[in-house]
Amino acid sequence: MNTNYLYLIIFAALIGETDVEVNLSSIIPAYNEYVTILLGIAGTKAILIAMFYQHLRYEPKSLSTWVIIGLVIASLLMGLSFVQLHVGH
Amino acid sequence: MAVSSTQVQFDSLFGLFTYLAFAVGIVVFTFMIYLILRYREKASSRQPEDTPILGKQPQSRGHVRTVLLTLTLSTIIIVPLIVGSFGAVDSILTPPQQVCQGCAIEVTAHQFYWQFTYDNGTKPYNTDNILRVPVGQNIRLSVTSADVFHDFGIIGYDIKTDAIPGRTNIIWFQPNSPGNFTIQCFELCGVGHATMKGTLVAMPYPSYMAWYNSTVVH
Amino acid sequence: MAEQLRATAKRWLYTTNHKDVGILYLITSLFLFAAAGVLALTMRTQLSAPGNTLLAADVYNQFVTVHGLLMIFWVLSPLAFGFANFIIPLQIGARDLAFPRLNAMSFWFFLFSGVMMILSFFFGAAPDLGWTLYSPQTAALFTPTIGFNLGAGALILMTVSITMSSINFLVTMLKMRAPGLKLRFMPAFSWAILITIFMMLYAFPSFLAAVVLLYVDRAFGTVYFSSIQGGSLLWDNVFWFFGHPEVYIVLFPALGIIADIIPTFARRPLHGAKYVIGSMVVVAMLSFAVWGHHMFVTGIGIVSTKLYTVTTIAISLPFDVMIISLIETLGMAKLRLKAPALFALGAVANFIVGGITGVFLASVALDYSLRGTYFVVAHFHYLMVGASIIGLIGGLYYWFPKITGRMYNEKLAKVHFVVSMIGFQILYFPMFLLLDMPRRVVTYTPDQGWGLLNLLATLGGFIFGGAQLLLFYNLYRSSRVGPPSGPNPWEAWTLEWALPSPPPPHDFDVIPTFLADGSIRFGTGPGLPNGASQSNEIGYPNGHAIGNSASLHLEGLSPWPVLMAFAAFIFFLGLTIGKPANPQPVSYQPFWPLIVDGVILGVISLFGYSREKFTVHEDTQVESWPFRQVPNMKLGIWTFLGAEVIFFGVLIGSYFFVRTNDAAWPAAGTLFDIRNGFAMTLVLLTSSLTAIMALASARAGNRSGLITSLAGTLVLGAAFLYIKAGEWFSLGGSGVFQNYSLPATSYFITTGTHGVHVFAGMCMTVYLLANAIKGKYVNGDHTTLEHFGLYWHFVDIVWVFLFPLFYLI
Repeated sequence: MNTNYLYLIIFAALIGETDVEVNLSSIIPAYNEYVTILLGIAGTKAILIAMFYQHLRYEPKSLSTWVIIGLVIASLLMGLSFVQLHVGH
Repeated sequence: MAVSSTQVQFDSLFGLFTYLAFAVGIVVFTFMIYLILRYREKASSRQPEDTPILGKQPQSRGHVRTVLLTLTLSTIIIVPLIVGSFGAVDSILTPPQQVCQGCAIEVTAHQFYWQFTYDNGTKPYNTDNILRVPVGQNIRLSVTSADVFHDFGIIGYDIKTDAIPGRTNIIWFQPNSPGNFTIQCFELCGVGHATMKGTLVAMPYPSYMAWYNSTVVH
Repeated sequence: MAEQLRATAKRWLYTTNHKDVGILYLITSLFLFAAAGVLALTMRTQLSAPGNTLLAADVYNQFVTVHGLLMIFWVLSPLAFGFANFIIPLQIGARDLAFPRLNAMSFWFFLFSGVMMILSFFFGAAPDLGWTLYSPQTAALFTPTIGFNLGAGALILMTVSITMSSINFLVTMLKMRAPGLKLRFMPAFSWAILITIFMMLYAFPSFLAAVVLLYVDRAFGTVYFSSIQGGSLLWDNVFWFFGHPEVYIVLFPALGIIADIIPTFARRPLHGAKYVIGSMVVVAMLSFAVWGHHMFVTGIGIVSTKLYTVTTIAISLPFDVMIISLIETLGMAKLRLKAPALFALGAVANFIVGGITGVFLASVALDYSLRGTYFVVAHFHYLMVGASIIGLIGGLYYWFPKITGRMYNEKLAKVHFVVSMIGFQILYFPMFLLLDMPRRVVTYTPDQGWGLLNLLATLGGFIFGGAQLLLFYNLYRSSRVGPPSGPNPWEAWTLEWALPSPPPPHDFDVIPTFLADGSIRFGTGPGLPNGASQSNEIGYPNGHAIGNSASLHLEGLSPWPVLMAFAAFIFFLGLTIGKPANPQPVSYQPFWPLIVDGVILGVISLFGYSREKFTVHEDTQVESWPFRQVPNMKLGIWTFLGAEVIFFGVLIGSYFFVRTNDAAWPAAGTLFDIRNGFAMTLVLLTSSLTAIMALASARAGNRSGLITSLAGTLVLGAAFLYIKAGEWFSLGGSGVFQNYSLPATSYFITTGTHGVHVFAGMCMTVYLLANAIKGKYVNGDHTTLEHFGLYWHFVDIVWVFLFPLFYLI
């Protein structure tokens, strides 16, 4: 497929997901669930942008691994402070 | 002589740590000094066989064995340290639910003095910053701050806790014998940090109750 | 004479050569070491007797704070990186760092940041709340001095310097090694620096976010660190998340030096080298999981404190492996006890004491007594001075011959060692016995019984400090009249010793090749022997440089790094020296003349920098596993984005922190109009599309498509900022910002920082558009566009998260 079309399709997906996000609260009443799904959708948008606009899908494995490892470590670090704040007081 | 429950607990745990620290330190230092003295360059020294040469990769020796031995010994040593610490902190962070009347005191840190509020509402304000407690009773302190981040510590009792605005931290102890002990601030809080001192006066229970009953609620 | 002076000044101000930059770092940090040491000795004099009045409390507090800040940020790391700059390219067979001008710029940012920190003394008061800068005493409400703002500015500039260095070294060490030099063949010092860089990359953005938020709190009246919801614990977490890895950042380079020195002088390979390196990696990772031990008595709860006790005590295990391995290296050795070896061994001995006492402090139960006492002070000085400084001094003696071509005076160095070690023990060991004495107190009373130990410590301090004069004298004099050392006076085997002492400006005539078993094949050329020999004349008996040595020093000169750094310096000076505006809450007026000057100079420098014809010679034959197919610049940009992830992560994390601590947060849609957020999201997503279309057009050689897409990106970026500006004006009009509430503050700061990134992206777009109109990028030269895209899409990704977080929940 012509890459330009690919970019347009990704774009459509991003806009569509944004539309879903804005209207999500009316479908998912439970707050915690809502926040989780919302951030999950945001996460998929980020992945799409990274993979296709930042070209990570087509880069050498070494680079994408580099990025993923970095992200995993970063999330672990952020996650640790969350545990520390909200567990076992 | 036992000064307080917290001091006794600290001394025994600190003693364990110190004992193991010296044991490990002596072994490692002896080993190191022995090797330095034995293998230092003398006229009679032999050239090692595996001296690396510029241009060739050093053939690093060192078996997994040494690593495993080191890790095993280290793990064995730290287990009692962790277990002892867990036991002690279980005690430190589980204050007694009920304490006697006059034994639950609020401590509020200010720049640059301590304010003590007793459970009958008494806030004796005096520039000596005196905290009175009865011997032989469990004392519960709720520590907070009215302005910046301080730390409330009783020297000799081996107990302290941070005094943070908007939060209350609870510590507890049982004084074992009468005496006066210095209270100081252990977190840099401004120009008056070093002068933020108080006195903990541990009194026999009857004297304490006499004083407590004579206090007037402000 | 004047010509000579001008040439020298030009060389040192404009140099981009890694060896020159290394020397600049070394000299600057040694100077600051002396300055911070004088602060310490003054403090020690004050404390030598109870009730002393040499220093008033406010002055003492400034001294203790600046002493800590200078030593940690402006001495320990720069000293290490002075060595790293000089030695790493030589150890890995590279001609220079990947980005030489960036390297020079790192130094000048570092230098000006140090000037700014010292200037803070002259603007009311220097920072005076400990290097740990706890909240809320650092809030403008409690500390309204301007000097404090300068200190914050200095820290920000210094962090920028470090971030630039991290990216530079990372790309260099991963992409520019000599052919065949696999990572596992790298010497211990190189490995230690590589691991340090990783820690820097992930730790410093957190510090940057913390200091930026602190500065914003002080300058604009936001309440991150002075509110109940944020306050002390928010700072504690964000600071120590950085703070703990930081102490390993200042330790590891010295450990690497020790691990290079001991084998060299023992004449045996490092025992268990791969386990030593492996242990360093484990410590580096674990270092991010132990920061809670600085918060043991803050009330974080029993589960957390037990968790941190375990991780902190456990981190001693890999260190045990390292130390045992270093000691085992001495077995069956032929140990030459020259000065570098003495200092290395002394550092190991001090490390053992410091490390063991660290285990004490790792126990939450013991910490309930030891927290904030001189036991802690003794512990970290045994490591930071006893292991790190002593190890770095070992490095000074070790590499002195390589750097200057001359040998230092060995006898004097030995005296220096003995006096230093004795002075050190007398200075710091008594502090372990002062385990009831609070830290950072200006004085104490006679009845507390601390007088004798303090007097002893002061005595030791003067002995230790005085001993360093021997160091300075030795190095200075030997650099003038010391005997020539030859290329390899130590008969060492790492690559830097194959070069002449000092190395010629271009380092290697021919980059050597490493064979499969790690042996080195040196290049051949006129007058050069084949292969290596054991003698002092390895490889380059004449030390011939290609071309005239003097002229070579004048190649690779660029004025833009120093000008750029100076521009940043005066910009931040303008931001921070403004007078207080309102008393309650305090905010500060910026000093506009300096800000404007800084921006103008900065723009000119940026322009000059980008237009300069500076070619970096990239050898085609390099070892670059695993990034063989990834160009240097791209790797650099992704690495930079990694640091940005941490930076934004901390900003967003701070938002989470204060929000989850606040029961009364406004519901979604009440404070901020969802439609604005929705519109901004659509606009920014579309701009990502136009950005990628621009790249596609450039690849296809389509000039008009490129220009249209770039123009579209610019317009959309402007639209984003326009909507945001409108939103902010209306919020300001309805008084939302002025109440300084946390919902308003966190929104403003987080989306504002993002907005600054959007603005920066738009400036880049203008530049690209101008070039595109001139016909660039459509002839296969589109990599700049690609790199811009990486940045722009990242900015978009950040907004993808900010939108739901601030508007929808």
